[in-house]
Amino acid sequence: MQKEVLIADSLSVSFNHQTVLDEVSFSVAKGEVFALLGGNGAGKSTTLKTFLGTVSPHSGIAKVMGLNVTSEIDKIRAKVAYLPESVTLYGHLTGVENIQYFLALAQVNCTDADIEQALKRVALQQNAWHKKMSFYSKGMRQKTAIALALLRNAPVLFLDEPTSGLDPNAIDEFNQLIANLATEGTTVFMVTHDVYGACHIAHRIGLLDQGKIVGMFERGGQTNIDTEAVHAAFSARNRP
Amino acid sequence: MSIFSNFSREAKFLFKQKHLWAFYAVVVCLSAFAVYSGISEANHQQATIERLLEKEAIDRENVIAKQKDYGSAAYYTFHLTYSEPSAMAFAAMGQRDIYPWKHRIRMLALEGQIYETDADNPELSFLGRFDFAFLVSILLPLFVILLLHDLRASERSAGRYDLLVVTAKNQHSLWLSRAVILSLSLAAALLIPFVVGAIVSQAPFADVVLMVLVVLAHLLFWMVISLVFVTSKKAIKQSSAQIASVLLSVWLLVTVLVPVVSDLVINKMVTGPSGGEIMLTQREAVNDAWDLPAEDTWTEFLKTHPQWQGKTTMDSPFFEWKWYYAFQQVGDQKASALATAYRDAIIKKDQLAGQFALLSPPMLTQRILSAIATTDTQAALVYQQQIRQFHKSLREFYYPLMFNKAEFSLETLKAQPQYSTYERAHKKHMENN
Repeated sequence: MQKEVLIADSLSVSFNHQTVLDEVSFSVAKGEVFALLGGNGAGKSTTLKTFLGTVSPHSGIAKVMGLNVTSEIDKIRAKVAYLPESVTLYGHLTGVENIQYFLALAQVNCTDADIEQALKRVALQQNAWHKKMSFYSKGMRQKTAIALALLRNAPVLFLDEPTSGLDPNAIDEFNQLIANLATEGTTVFMVTHDVYGACHIAHRIGLLDQGKIVGMFERGGQTNIDTEAVHAAFSARNRP
Repeated sequence: MSIFSNFSREAKFLFKQKHLWAFYAVVVCLSAFAVYSGISEANHQQATIERLLEKEAIDRENVIAKQKDYGSAAYYTFHLTYSEPSAMAFAAMGQRDIYPWKHRIRMLALEGQIYETDADNPELSFLGRFDFAFLVSILLPLFVILLLHDLRASERSAGRYDLLVVTAKNQHSLWLSRAVILSLSLAAALLIPFVVGAIVSQAPFADVVLMVLVVLAHLLFWMVISLVFVTSKKAIKQSSAQIASVLLSVWLLVTVLVPVVSDLVINKMVTGPSGGEIMLTQREAVNDAWDLPAEDTWTEFLKTHPQWQGKTTMDSPFFEWKWYYAFQQVGDQKASALATAYRDAIIKKDQLAGQFALLSPPMLTQRILSAIATTDTQAALVYQQQIRQFHKSLREFYYPLMFNKAEFSLETLKAQPQYSTYERAHKKHMENN
């Protein structure tokens, strides 16, 4: 049995007396890619933000690497990297300068060579590295943020709709990158409403609806999760 | 990682933003203009004093040459009294815009001469002067609010907040470092022109340091207020505009409301005679004396000047200079209670204003800066006392000559008191204190 890196145990969150997460429980093992799938307002981002400590749970427990999010968030943040859905880095800085700034913020020492290597790994074209971020496309900003997450060298990676805005080639490259990271032992927790992407990349998928886990799908050995089954379950819950 | 490396990181980051450079350039220009206009005004006041002194010397020579007796000499000779702007006055003109800093005094009844300028139109005291003290006490808080109100809200609206918070080793030190760098840069933008102005004005080093400390303390107050609110849990969901509104309300409260209300309360609590009342009382006393028996004047005069007992007999039943100056003296005596009440009321009001200023950091800052520049109410009152002392010395010079019927001599008149001696003594006194 692999060690559990993320644990949500009867996790509930409410805003203004309205329940957003209702007794959610799951765990994610080391080196596992876990996708939380759900429609708009299902509570995916709230789950992710609870692990990041930007949303406080109303009841229940959320742990990252054995650390409780309510009492040990600073220690948790030193061990995780986060890729937001809409990456808006600083427009007045270049791609490299943005990475340098955020690494300094995280107090992570990286050489210029490390940064170059990370940028190559995420396939950001070299002529853009020293251009101001305000000239970057959404995909380029996403790649810069992924490079930053890689350079953090964090054992846990939180991804919020990571492939939105990426072109098909970039999505393939990204999926490959995540698979490699998982193989190297990085735990990946992603929230998405992209059924096909999630089935392709995740070891397990949790289906979230109205703040509750309503289904759990698991990869069978080398076989990807059955897209049809997940799609059917997702559609049943998210009909217009 | 040390706090200095946090500052260094944020300084490198912030100063890559062109709009910040533009903002600080505007602040430098405003500060330079405030300092320049302060130096110009101080130089103008100094030049006015010197010009008037020059003219007075020529005028006095011409007037005295035509006189045949000491009474006429005292009557026709004007004496310029003045309070020179201190070397720090360029930074805070303070009460010099409200209380007169120069008078032309004759050896007539004095109180009316002191307060007749109270009838001047005090427009400037309502408008205020754009000097360094105004910039620091009134506009500095707005600059701080402008720089810090969207410290966190702008990151939220740009969608970077979660990434920043999750990435930063310590998010509190992130906001603190940014606020400190922005505030220190603001301090530099404000203080560099001030220090240049102080060097140009040859201001005393200790006073310059003191003013710098006051500016930094006021800046620190607004930085802390802004930072505490901006990073509070309550403000986390608020937009930049909402946060700015709250901070501006605080500014309005302490910069406008507290001073206005305190002014109303102080004027309600402390009432005193006006300068006009003092002038009228004294002039009526002098005018009435022409119609009263001379004996009435002498009786009053001798109460304060018993040394001239037996020397009050008059050669002419209609006019004699010593009688004329005696009833001028009596005029002052009659207005004396009012003048004291006026002075006491000003002191009381000033003390109360000092207590109210504890509720208004901008008001307190302005008061401290004026005190350092010796342009405060205290300095104005000291100047008024100097005029009285000087005027007394004139009387002490002329009375023996008139009452003892000394032979008129132009040489004797050369020894009459000079106000500049008092001004120098006052400066020395102020320096020692």
